[in-house]
Amino acid sequence: MANGDRLLGGLRAWTWQRASALYLLGFGLVLAIRLATTPLHDYAHWRAFWSAPLLTAGTLLAVVSLGIHAWVGGRDVILDYVRPRSARPIALALLALLIGLAVTRILLALLGAAQA
Amino acid sequence: MRFSVYRFDPDRDDKPRMQDFDLELQSTDHMVLDALLRLKQIDESLSFCRSCREGVCGSDGMNINGRNRLACITELRTLREPVVIRPLPGQPVIRDLIVDLTQFFAHYTSIRPWVIDDRPMPERERLQSPAEREELEGLYECILCACCSTTCPSYWWNPEQFIGPAGLLQAYRFIADSRDQARDERLAFLEGPFRLYRCRTIMNCTEVCPKGLAPSHAIEQIRSLQFGRSF
Repeated sequence: MANGDRLLGGLRAWTWQRASALYLLGFGLVLAIRLATTPLHDYAHWRAFWSAPLLTAGTLLAVVSLGIHAWVGGRDVILDYVRPRSARPIALALLALLIGLAVTRILLALLGAAQA
Repeated sequence: MRFSVYRFDPDRDDKPRMQDFDLELQSTDHMVLDALLRLKQIDESLSFCRSCREGVCGSDGMNINGRNRLACITELRTLREPVVIRPLPGQPVIRDLIVDLTQFFAHYTSIRPWVIDDRPMPERERLQSPAEREELEGLYECILCACCSTTCPSYWWNPEQFIGPAGLLQAYRFIADSRDQARDERLAFLEGPFRLYRCRTIMNCTEVCPKGLAPSHAIEQIRSLQFGRSF
């Protein structure tokens, strides 16, 4: 297996994609139930809801999971559809940069809001 | 019965064309292959592969009314007219309905389709229990007609690197064989993003297999064995 292939992984990426999907599904369900059963009458309630430590940690993990899931999905689209093989590393690097920046930006915003 | 058949002779034609035929079927014409043989009597330049004419050799795989099938076991009465016959999709056309399957067979060879066992030869044959033999059901029957691989979009996208459903079904046939001693090497060979993991579980392969096999299930089994081996 070439070094690039080893870096991209087969089983590893497939496992992460499924694990992140399962986490997002579970987190989405828990979040939906909590939202449906918690009275959120005003902004103070809303802030208190999101600043609960478990929910904050769960949300941070969900953002990371979304980043991982998006990386494997986007990577698969690039490997399938970008025909010139020489263009693939560039497209993959751009995708990694985009997802990395987006996840970092959201994590920083969430952490900032949790500390405020 | 009306037929529309793909025609292309690279020595004479600039591009492929569809040729229409109206054929008076006879009482002995049951299968598409019967009709093709009759069409060949009308136009002897029409080219296609066939051999056993009973769904065993796998040489007359072609795309009939949009679906990959074996001409010899596809009943004419089940088809809508005009019956559109094209070569297996995504493969280089040698002539008319004959495609070049060199790459397909190269992938097949790459999975080392034989039992690997370097232990000293036993005095008699290597035996399997009925349960061990049972593991090969639904795998050994593959006739390598290429109907599955050539209907797989993942194979169209990465034909050089993705082994394709037929090759992967055959790979699992030897992984599952109790007599084979190279299971770990076989599983390691299929690691990486291309050889197996281009499969997107589209399942066209299982849908079209003329022998009713399930390459997608074999692929799933390989993934599951790799997953177990990774701990």
